[in-house]
Amino acid sequence: MREKVKPEEMAEANERAPACSTCFEVPIGPIHPALKEGIRFTFWIEGERIRKVDIRPGFMHRGIEFMGTKRNLIQVLYLAERICGICSISHPLAIVQAVEQAAGIEVPPRAQYIRVIIGELERIHSHLLWAGVAAHELGFDTLLHYVWKVREPVLDLLEDLTGNRINYAIPIYGGVRRDVPPEKYPVLKNALRYYRSLVDDFVNFFLRDPSIEARTRGVGVLTREEADSLCAVGPTARASGLRKDVRQDWPYFAYPDLGVRAITPEDMGLEVQGDVYDRIVVRLLEVVQSIEIIERCLEEMPDGEIIAFPKVAALLAHLKKAEGEGIGRHEAPRGEVIHYIRLQADEEAPVVWKVKAPTYSNLMPWYPMFRDQEIADIPIVAASIDPCICCMERVQIVRGGREETLWKEQLLELSWAKTRRIVRGLGPSHVTRRASRGGADERR
Amino acid sequence: MRAEEVLAALRGKLGERLRNPEVRAETVGYRRLRERECLWAEIGREDLLEAVRTLKELAPLHISIISGADVGDRIELIYHLGVGYGTETGEVMVNLRLTVPKDDPVVPSLCDILPGAQTTEREKIEFLGVEFEGIPDTRKLFLPDDLPVHPWRKDEPELAGYVRRTVAWEEKGDEGKGEA
Repeated sequence: MREKVKPEEMAEANERAPACSTCFEVPIGPIHPALKEGIRFTFWIEGERIRKVDIRPGFMHRGIEFMGTKRNLIQVLYLAERICGICSISHPLAIVQAVEQAAGIEVPPRAQYIRVIIGELERIHSHLLWAGVAAHELGFDTLLHYVWKVREPVLDLLEDLTGNRINYAIPIYGGVRRDVPPEKYPVLKNALRYYRSLVDDFVNFFLRDPSIEARTRGVGVLTREEADSLCAVGPTARASGLRKDVRQDWPYFAYPDLGVRAITPEDMGLEVQGDVYDRIVVRLLEVVQSIEIIERCLEEMPDGEIIAFPKVAALLAHLKKAEGEGIGRHEAPRGEVIHYIRLQADEEAPVVWKVKAPTYSNLMPWYPMFRDQEIADIPIVAASIDPCICCMERVQIVRGGREETLWKEQLLELSWAKTRRIVRGLGPSHVTRRASRGGADERR
Repeated sequence: MRAEEVLAALRGKLGERLRNPEVRAETVGYRRLRERECLWAEIGREDLLEAVRTLKELAPLHISIISGADVGDRIELIYHLGVGYGTETGEVMVNLRLTVPKDDPVVPSLCDILPGAQTTEREKIEFLGVEFEGIPDTRKLFLPDDLPVHPWRKDEPELAGYVRRTVAWEEKGDEGKGEA
């Protein structure tokens, strides 16, 4: 019933010839339901080294923008919330800005502070989630369970404040739907104190651990120039030394009051190398930064209204009359989210709605990151930009005419075995760069 | 970077060919007020590369997205570019609007100047049927390889039929899959 692939397209696919005569092809993925972009990687491998990579997203494209232009703006808000399951508030925070700009809606200051608080709490939980995933990819499952255990309190806190662990449904055009009342401040402050007390542990576990350093230093390097020309965003760009952060560059909500600065590894006194290690550094520092931002919000937050249109019907009527266009940008845990929206009078649905998620911008930077890396480093390099890692569902190896299928567990086993080799071969006292760069060659 | 500087640089290069430039400024913040700016302008497709090159020379350049729409017999593209990231309130959002006729939807590709534009250009190829001159990779990115329609085109005669066929196919469940 569907059309077959056209001949010219087949020719195009065949043109993707191996990068060298001794290379073989390793497709990884596709699939995964949690992210807008379920992804398939095809690697051309020579020995242990990746010589070329091809990336194909789109297995989970749901046509959300198309659906959005068939619904009224309130429905679109909740649809936007469902674009991403992990950083579910990032898209609503961007679309409310776009619509408020297009329709000329003033937002009460207190609401802008509450948006910041929820957004930063989400950054804490998202970065912790990532840290756990990264530990798992490297084969430190104890660390994974520890990190995810300490992530629970922030989810509980979000549930306490918003009613939900994920999909908080807090922002609405013209404000927020639920206040953070003063009697909740002690709970919030307690949680922040708890996370502050954990920072030293995290630095010890992640940054001072010789085997983690050996597995991540010099791995998946993205240079400053590449990050700039490929338009990387979020911690991926900042770990390469670019001070790029929407909260700083193009401030919104209450961020101008809080004076947020983009964080790079230099802030910890390290030289920027743009590798996976640096991405861990940046995310850890950002957890600390988020704690500070929320503490300041609690001190400085003014009293007052939290919503411009308390009645949804009045809001809908206002939106129906509105005409104009707007852009909304938000620094999500993974980087810049941007929404462009165009409204027409007497139309309930937006005429144009364009959404960009951070992984969309970090797609191109993946290419240089994978270049000349080892197969065993694929999981951690892929995870380092913080996409949805579950696309590592399986690996199919085509070698000559013979096909064998490697499941996700086997790929992870490769990664874990490499960590074990490093841990065995090098005592904790003498970590060297040799381990990550030349481990495989040595073995041969 | 201020929007006025960006506007002056673009005017210097393009002159009258930069149509309807408009600086939209907003004051943000409550305790520390900051001015945040957007520049909106229309250009012709023949001036696109020159405009983007000018912006690139001016300050660090980031392409957020190209948004697009079917507006009757033409296709409209808006290039949302961030100019001058790296300092507080230092970024100006430059939104360059251009339209191309549907029977000749060709636009020069930005990939030579800004390789990071490739993802969003490839997306416009499959969703709107725009062609980019000089783009290194034209394969589908988000849509199935065998999808015969451009979903954001409003006049695609095949689109409605395609949606019907897909839905019918899904409703058949496992039986239908064999035929697909």
